[in-house]
Amino acid sequence: MEWWQAIVIAFLYYFADAPFWFGDGYYVLQRPIVAGFLVGLVMGDPVQGTIIGATINLIFLGHMSVGGSIPSDMALAGYVGTAFALAMHTTTEVALAIAVPIGLIGTVVWVGRMTISAVFAHWADAFAKKGNTRGVMLMNWVPAQTMLFLFKMILVTIFCVYVSEAVGNVINGMVGSPIFNGIGVVGGMLPAVGIALNLRAILKKETWPFLIIGFLLVAYFKISIVGVALFGVAAAMIYMLMNSKKEGAATNGAQ
Amino acid sequence: MEHNEQSVKLTKKDVNKSFWLWQLFSHANYNYERMQGTAFAMAMAPILKKLYPKKEDLVDGLERHLVFFNTDPNLGAVIHGATIAMEEKKANGADISGEAINAFKTGLMGPMAGVGDSLIQGVIIPLFVAIGISLGLTGNLLGPLLVWFGLTATLVLIARSSWMKGYELGTSAITSMLQDGRMKTWIGAAGILGTMVMGGLISQYVGFSTKIAFTIGQVPFDLQANLFDAIMPNLLPLALTLFIYWLTTKRVKTTWILLGVAVVGIAGGALGIF
Repeated sequence: MEWWQAIVIAFLYYFADAPFWFGDGYYVLQRPIVAGFLVGLVMGDPVQGTIIGATINLIFLGHMSVGGSIPSDMALAGYVGTAFALAMHTTTEVALAIAVPIGLIGTVVWVGRMTISAVFAHWADAFAKKGNTRGVMLMNWVPAQTMLFLFKMILVTIFCVYVSEAVGNVINGMVGSPIFNGIGVVGGMLPAVGIALNLRAILKKETWPFLIIGFLLVAYFKISIVGVALFGVAAAMIYMLMNSKKEGAATNGAQ
Repeated sequence: MEHNEQSVKLTKKDVNKSFWLWQLFSHANYNYERMQGTAFAMAMAPILKKLYPKKEDLVDGLERHLVFFNTDPNLGAVIHGATIAMEEKKANGADISGEAINAFKTGLMGPMAGVGDSLIQGVIIPLFVAIGISLGLTGNLLGPLLVWFGLTATLVLIARSSWMKGYELGTSAITSMLQDGRMKTWIGAAGILGTMVMGGLISQYVGFSTKIAFTIGQVPFDLQANLFDAIMPNLLPLALTLFIYWLTTKRVKTTWILLGVAVVGIAGGALGIF
């Protein structure tokens, strides 16, 4: 990987966590599918980048940040994982297998920033005591964002330039070995983790039938995901109709 | 009332500016001690400056909004809107204490986070991302672009209308919104849609099959083709996903699950089982 590419990728990784994309970086730019596309543009192959990013994103389908903790840093997995995979011209399964540990490393960064940024809240307190609104406002972003910018730029640039080569050599040395086979199997299994984690958040006793219907639609009829979503919209509409009838009946009964 | 001598009215522009400060900077200084506390204060700062000409009132206001705060920044924006409405009333002489404002904020941030997490992070985002992935895996650049721009527009729209609703309707509106049956119906409907798509994703993207084959007497028996596929296509991916789901309901940590998948997958793949 070229230095300039590493620097741009590091900047994109920072930007995905910065306030400047309508404040929605976490929801949008940190998703590995977007990361893969952007890294692909930088590395000169947006289509392959998108395919790799989409593959990595399968594990993070169920990614949720609840109460300020994240299970894994999907942005680091997406940006650096795609960059590594494109640099070593490897399969998507291998990309997936390296993205997982990278994402876990990222949680260390997260805990660090969540701890250090508390200091800046006290700086804001000091400005508040003086009635300095401008100071309070600036303390909400300037110190923390400066810290994150510097830290992420340095970390990811070095990571991309030096570590990608080492990882690439190790992985390429394993091609064709039984272990390499195993990594491919892991790549196939990992999307189950992402789906299961999302189900943990949304699956209820009453919605089990819809899980099975969605599964069967694809298993037997090979319907695309967009198609399943359209069936899902219809099912949701039926549910809403039935509910409004029930509500109507309840009000009528009350009268 | 003595406070009523001068009345300060907020304009639409003031409320709008406050919204964008929150929208952009809600997580700019996210931290364990206050979470989004400094961001809440940042969004309120221009409002407070306009409402409270006296310095001690301004200091009170700033300190009031620098405390711990954490909610879903999209749907939860209804809290901020209503808080602005409360501050405006207070500045114009209404008998609202600072404690009352903070009690309102802390009382609702939990419920709104619950609703927001299940609706936004649980359904809306996975829906966009799932469709994005299904396009992206075929190399269609519409996939990432849909997530990038479509999801951004959707979320900004949700946050902005929540914020404005909160400001227009005030505090009582939020409690009634949470108790209103329609909100529950919407969440239920979204859950159905999300669950169905997850079912489709299991079939489509989880790859898990066995290579075990043996002969019974003279007849070759391929476990995958002759047993699992004969029962139902993609039976093993479904079983694997439901097993992992079961593990998560038993509160097994994600890291352990990932490690388990790695060990089973690599060992099984190396030994030729999968």
